[in-house]
Amino acid sequence: MTAGVAGTARTPGRVRQAAWVASVVLLVLVTAVLPLLLSEGQSGGRTLDPADTSLDGSAALARLLQAHGVEVVRVETPGAAVAAAGPQTLLLVTEASFLNRDAAHRIAEAPGDRLMAGAVPHLDVLAPGVRREGPVRARSRAPECTLPEAVRAGDAYTGGMSFTGPRGSTGCYPAGDGRSLVRYTADGHTVTVLGDASFMTNLRLAEDGNAALALNLAGARPKLVWLAGPDDFDEAGGPGDETGEEAGGEARSLGDLIPGGVKWAVLQLIVAVALTALWRGRRLGPVVAERLPVVVRAAETVEGRGRLYRSRRARDRAALALRAAAADRLAPRLGLPRTATPEEVAVAAAARTGRDPEPVLTLLCGPPPGDDTALVTLAAHLDSLERQVRDS
Amino acid sequence: MALTGRTGLLAALAAIVVLLAPAPGLVVLAAALVLAVLVTADLLLAGAVRGLRFRRDGERRMRLGQSATIGLVVDNPGGRRVRGVLRDAWQPSAGAAPRRVTLDVPARERRRLVTTLTPTRRGDREAVAVTVRSVGPLGLAARQRTFHVPWTVRVLPPFLSRRHLPARLARLRELDGRHPALVRGQGTEFDSLREYVVGDDVRSIDWRASARRSDVVVRTWRPERDRRVLIVLDTGRTSAGRVGEAPLPGSGRSGWPRLDWSMDAALLLAALAARAGDRVDFLAYDRAVRAQVSGASRTELLSSLVDAMAPIEAELVEADAAGMVAAVLSRARRRCLVVLLTDLNATAMEEGLLPVLPSLSSRHMVVVASVADPRVAGMAAGRGTAEAVYDAAAAERLRGERRGITAVLRRHGVEVVDALPEDVAPALADAYLALKAAGRL
Repeated sequence: MTAGVAGTARTPGRVRQAAWVASVVLLVLVTAVLPLLLSEGQSGGRTLDPADTSLDGSAALARLLQAHGVEVVRVETPGAAVAAAGPQTLLLVTEASFLNRDAAHRIAEAPGDRLMAGAVPHLDVLAPGVRREGPVRARSRAPECTLPEAVRAGDAYTGGMSFTGPRGSTGCYPAGDGRSLVRYTADGHTVTVLGDASFMTNLRLAEDGNAALALNLAGARPKLVWLAGPDDFDEAGGPGDETGEEAGGEARSLGDLIPGGVKWAVLQLIVAVALTALWRGRRLGPVVAERLPVVVRAAETVEGRGRLYRSRRARDRAALALRAAAADRLAPRLGLPRTATPEEVAVAAAARTGRDPEPVLTLLCGPPPGDDTALVTLAAHLDSLERQVRDS
Repeated sequence: MALTGRTGLLAALAAIVVLLAPAPGLVVLAAALVLAVLVTADLLLAGAVRGLRFRRDGERRMRLGQSATIGLVVDNPGGRRVRGVLRDAWQPSAGAAPRRVTLDVPARERRRLVTTLTPTRRGDREAVAVTVRSVGPLGLAARQRTFHVPWTVRVLPPFLSRRHLPARLARLRELDGRHPALVRGQGTEFDSLREYVVGDDVRSIDWRASARRSDVVVRTWRPERDRRVLIVLDTGRTSAGRVGEAPLPGSGRSGWPRLDWSMDAALLLAALAARAGDRVDFLAYDRAVRAQVSGASRTELLSSLVDAMAPIEAELVEADAAGMVAAVLSRARRRCLVVLLTDLNATAMEEGLLPVLPSLSSRHMVVVASVADPRVAGMAAGRGTAEAVYDAAAAERLRGERRGITAVLRRHGVEVVDALPEDVAPALADAYLALKAAGRL
C-alpha cells in the first residue's frame, strides 16, 4: 500500500488506500456470508432427530409423544437401540444410512415392533418380504385403506418410495405401482415401512393429518426407542463404538473411500510440481559477486568510548574531558593562551562575568562528580558559564 | 536447457485428465511421454544460441550520480529465429537496468539492446556475463547459454564541489588584479611598471623609476605563478570511516567515506591551482603508491586526476607515514606546497607522521586537510541525560585530541584545515588562496 505523500499526491493516495481497505473488508464479508447463504436451504440441523428443533428435526413430534405419555428414548447406535428394546417397545429408525448389514441383522432380531421411515438400507433384513417398487414423488395423499391409524389421520404427506408388502400385509397411501406405507406382522413383531419420513419433521408436522399419522404410528407402544443418526458416522460403525461389536467387515478406511484416480492425479501433480521447480530453479546466468568496500562509521569509536564510560560509570574521566573542552573554548575568549591552566581560566572567567571565583574554580577544576545526576548538572553549569563569558 | 512455466502447467492440466480418465495409470504414463516428446521437439526447434555473436558499444567513463547507456548488439548467424530473454549481468553496484530483456533476433539479422547503468559508487564497473535463453516455438523448453562480453565503465568521482569554483576563481582574479573591482593586485611577485592613475595606492609608487621619467610610475604586482602543488591522498584505514550524509542518493547508506570527501576537496584545489597557473601533481599512498599523476598539462589535469582517483578504495591497513614522506620527497625536489589529505587521528599521527614531519616541513609548505565528523559534533552537544553526557564527554575527548594534534602540527609550521564534510573542499581552497595571497607558496 502506498503511504500518503505530501502535497497534491495525498488525495489520490488516500482514495487508493481507502479503496484497498474497502475491497479487503468486502472480500472478508463475502467469504464469511456466502457459505451461510448457500447453506441456509439445508440448515445445519440433523434430519429427523428428536432432539433437533430446526425445520428438519423432529423435536415437535417427540414433545407431542411425551405429552401423550409415551416414553421417548433417543439412541444413536444400533447397539444402544437393541439394548433399549423390549417386548413393549417400538423401534423407530429414521436414519439408517450408517447401518451395516451386521447391525441390521441385530436390529431385526431385537424384540418389539419396528417402524422404518425414509430410505432404509438392508430392507431385506429389516423388513423381509417388502419389495421396493420405485421412487415416487412425496405429496399429500389419501390413505385409501383400512389401517385405523391411517384412516383416522386422513390425508398425509407421503410418497418417496412405493412398496409391495408380503402376503397378509396392509398397504396405505397408494403411490405409483405400490403403496408408500406397508405394515405386516411376522414372528410377533409389527413391522411398518414408510417411503418418506418428512411428514414427521417440524416443518410438515402441522400440515394435513401428518401429526395424527405420526402420533398414531410412533405412539403405538408405551416406549419408543428412536434411533437417530450419530454425530460421527465413523465412530458408530467403527471399532470405537461403545459395544465394540459393530466393527463389522464392511467398515472402510479413508483410503478406501478415495476414488482410485485421485492417487494417480496426485502423482501427476507431483510431476507438475517437479517440472515447475525445474523451471523456477534454472537461473538466467550466474550469480554476480562483487567486492564491496567496508562500511564502517567513523563515529563508531567515539560511540564505543561513550558506552564504555557509561558502563564503567567513569564520571571522573567524563568530567575531565568536559572541563578540558570548556577551558579550551574559554581560553581564547578570555584572551588567554592555549597553554593556560584551568585555574587561570577559572579566575579570568570569574573576573569577566563578575561571579564569585570560588564556585567557578570548583566548576572547572573541582573534584569529580559523585553521581550521574551531578555529572549532568556539571555539564549544564559548564554550558551556562560559557554562555555568560560569550555574552559578557 | 531450461523449461518454462508452460511445461508445469501442462502437467498440472494432465492431472485433471488423470482424475477423470478410466485408466489413470496409463494416462500418467502417456502424459509423461507426450511431455517428453514435446519438450524434445521444442528444444530441437529452438533457435541456436551457441553461434550468437555479441558486440558492445557505449561509454567508457561516467561521473558518479549520472546514468550511461551501453549498447549490446546481438548477431544471429544461425538459420532459425532466436526468441526468448537475455540478461546482461553487471556488478550489482553498477545499477544496470533492465535486468532482463525480451530478445527476438530473426535468422541472419542483428538487434541492438540498451542497458542503462546508474552506478551507486565510484570505481571500475564490469560487465560480467550475457545469458541468452532461446525458447522453442511451443514455449515449453529453451536453450540457454552464458557468454562473456567484456566491457568496463570507469565511474569517476562526481566532483560535487565544483559549484564552489566560480567564487574561488573570482577571488583569484582579485589577487591577480584583473578583477573588475578597483582593488590593487595583492600579489607579491613584481610584474611590471605602469603610469600612475588616480586611485592607485601611493605606497606602490616606484620613486626611482619616477625619477628617471617625468611621470609618476607605480609598480604592479601579481601573484606567484608556476609554483608546484603536490596533493597527497592518504588511502589508509582512517580514510575508510564514513562521515556525513551521502550527497548523492543511493551512494551510501551511512554517509560517504572520508576518502571520497577528500577526493572532492583535492579536485577543487587542483582545478583552482591549475587556473592560478600552478603545476599540480597527485599521489595516493597508504603503504605503497596507489595512484599518481605528475606533469599533466593544465587542460588534461582534471580528467587525468579523476581517472586516477576513480578506482582507489581505502585499504584497511595503517598508512606508512615514513614511506609517504619519502615518496613525496623523491617527487618534489623544488620547494612546493604539499597538501596532505588525511585524518587528524591523534594516535596514528603521533606514531606515524609527527616523527617524520620535520624532514617534510623544513623543505616544503605543508597543509594537512582533514574531514571532521558531524556526528561527533552532534554528540558533543548532547545534554540532559547521563547517557548523552557520557557520549558528549567521549566526543569532547576526541575533539580535544584533534585540537592537540592541530596545535602540534601548527608548531611545525603546518597549516591545518579541519572542516565538516561539506565544507572541507571550500575551506581547503580558501587556505590555498590565503597562502597564495601571503606569498607563502
